[in-house]
Amino acid sequence: MATLQAEKVSKRYAVRGIETWALRDVSLAVEPGEFTALAGPSGSGKTTLLNLFGALDAPTSGAVSLDGQDLALLSRSQLAALRLAKLGFVFQAFNLIPVLSALENVEFVMELQGAAKAPRRERARAVLADVGLAELADKRPLEMSGGQQQRVAIARAIVSEPRVVLADEPTANLDSVTAGKLIDLMERLNRERGVTFLFSTHDPRVIERARRVVRLRDGSVVADERDA
Amino acid sequence: MARALAQFAGSLVRASTWRLALRGLGRQPRRSAVVLAAVAIGLGSLLLAMALQYGLVGQMAETAIRSEIGDLQVHASAWKDSAPLAERMPEAPSLAALDGAQTLIGVAPRLRGEALAQSPRASVGVRVIGVDPAREPSVTTLASLVQEGAWLGVQPRRALVGGGLARRLRTGVGDKIVLAVQDVRGDLTGEAFRIGGVLNPPTRELDESVVVLSLPDAQRLYGVAGEISELALAARDRAALEAPRAEAAAALGVGVRVETWREREPLLSMMIELFDQMGWVIYAAIFVAMAFGIANVLLMSVLERTREIGILLAIGMPPARMVAIVIAESAVLVMVGVALGFALGFGGIYALRDGIDLGVFGDGLRAYGMPTKLMPIARSGDVTAPLVVAGVTALIASLWPALRAVRTRPAEALRRA
Repeated sequence: MATLQAEKVSKRYAVRGIETWALRDVSLAVEPGEFTALAGPSGSGKTTLLNLFGALDAPTSGAVSLDGQDLALLSRSQLAALRLAKLGFVFQAFNLIPVLSALENVEFVMELQGAAKAPRRERARAVLADVGLAELADKRPLEMSGGQQQRVAIARAIVSEPRVVLADEPTANLDSVTAGKLIDLMERLNRERGVTFLFSTHDPRVIERARRVVRLRDGSVVADERDA
Repeated sequence: MARALAQFAGSLVRASTWRLALRGLGRQPRRSAVVLAAVAIGLGSLLLAMALQYGLVGQMAETAIRSEIGDLQVHASAWKDSAPLAERMPEAPSLAALDGAQTLIGVAPRLRGEALAQSPRASVGVRVIGVDPAREPSVTTLASLVQEGAWLGVQPRRALVGGGLARRLRTGVGDKIVLAVQDVRGDLTGEAFRIGGVLNPPTRELDESVVVLSLPDAQRLYGVAGEISELALAARDRAALEAPRAEAAAALGVGVRVETWREREPLLSMMIELFDQMGWVIYAAIFVAMAFGIANVLLMSVLERTREIGILLAIGMPPARMVAIVIAESAVLVMVGVALGFALGFGGIYALRDGIDLGVFGDGLRAYGMPTKLMPIARSGDVTAPLVVAGVTALIASLWPALRAVRTRPAEALRRA
């Protein structure tokens, strides 16, 4: 069974009465343990597809499922519980909670999951150390560089060991060295812990590291390439 | 629904909910401070105003009770204020029945009548109150109101008059007055009394138109030996008058009516009750106005944080937790504001603990039984009422912003940012 599955999914936005189709009849299955890139130019529908897989948005038509569970059948609270239990997110603009420190940002997901304070704090520190930010644990996001913030975002996404990490242009705001380190980290997590990664990018250096590349253009899948 | 409520309740006891709420408020410290100041100053002023108003009516009640009425009064069932001599009770058996009552600390027998007081220079229509000089101080402060001369003793034919009445009769301590009365048989009669003391009563009525005699003198004057008009009672606990009323009624048997001071002074009682009701209305009005301000601040805060709320929902925060955070922000604003308001209000009350001297309006105030020194009185309700209303306000003010927050669509919030 596919971890993520989209069947004939379309998404339409209406802005000031003007309708725009972000996705048209997209079908895609992501199997457990995949390290997949969604590639395409801006406006091709990458973020929209990630949002639909992440239960952050609902399709206009078609069905999206996670581990075989049709997301359309779940309530707002059930979707939140599903995201909390199974998904980790990395957003393009870092999107950390500005009033929490790096450690608190990472710890917060586990706190929502009901983990006890001592073990969750220990785990959050360990993951921050994994991403090379042990010494910045008590800094707030605005006191860190873009690369550091994105590493905190990665730490937050993986700290509770989700089945799937959805990353939207994770290297978009990073220099090439930091971007390379981030991809290394994601690869390591995928390889060592079996975390399924689906990330959007139009960075060729990132695309060439993916084992599967799904190319989108104007809301449709135009190519689906896998490593030999 | 039950699950959401459980999540909500669970969220409210989590330290991180309150930490997020506090830090959220800390983002715009000036805006939060303005709301806090509005709540604190509004509540503080209100508390002080209420304490002064209650001090006024409370002192009026205290004056009425302590200077004449007592906590309870007993009369014959058919007794009327307009014909005080018409219905009487036996003195000795009534006192014997009530002496030793557990819920009473004082019992004072009285005879009431009307008279024409005459001095060599003037005549004035007066009320006559015959009191037991030894028992009366256990119920009222009449004995302590003597400003010249002495309280009634064993000497017969002594009268006490208010300073106002003494002036109207153009007489003073040691002078003689004649009380002309219609006795119990309807015969016109009279007796001369020497003024043994001049009182300084807190009300104009006591000051200008009451003559106080010893009970035996009054009984002889009206021809009702061994009989009384009323018993004034002092209760052990003034806040719970039903027990002494029941005990007195049971001890005295049929044929008597036991009334509380509220029944004897319905206008004053109504003023106090009205004041209590008005208190809730005023608290509610003030807090409703505050609720709009708080809701506005919270809504602005929620709208400013659309992106952050989107992130929180995206990473799996349950909607119930989001509601709890917004309500916690509102609760912090209101409760800190209420705490500051209490500090301001009770600080003001403490600062005025010696009272506000209204002596320049003394004559006018005494005419209505009002105190010439206004003491603020704080009550337990001044703490509980704002707390209850503030709790409701915090909840109501946060509902709209909270709903706005949980209706945020994560993808839309992240896209918009």
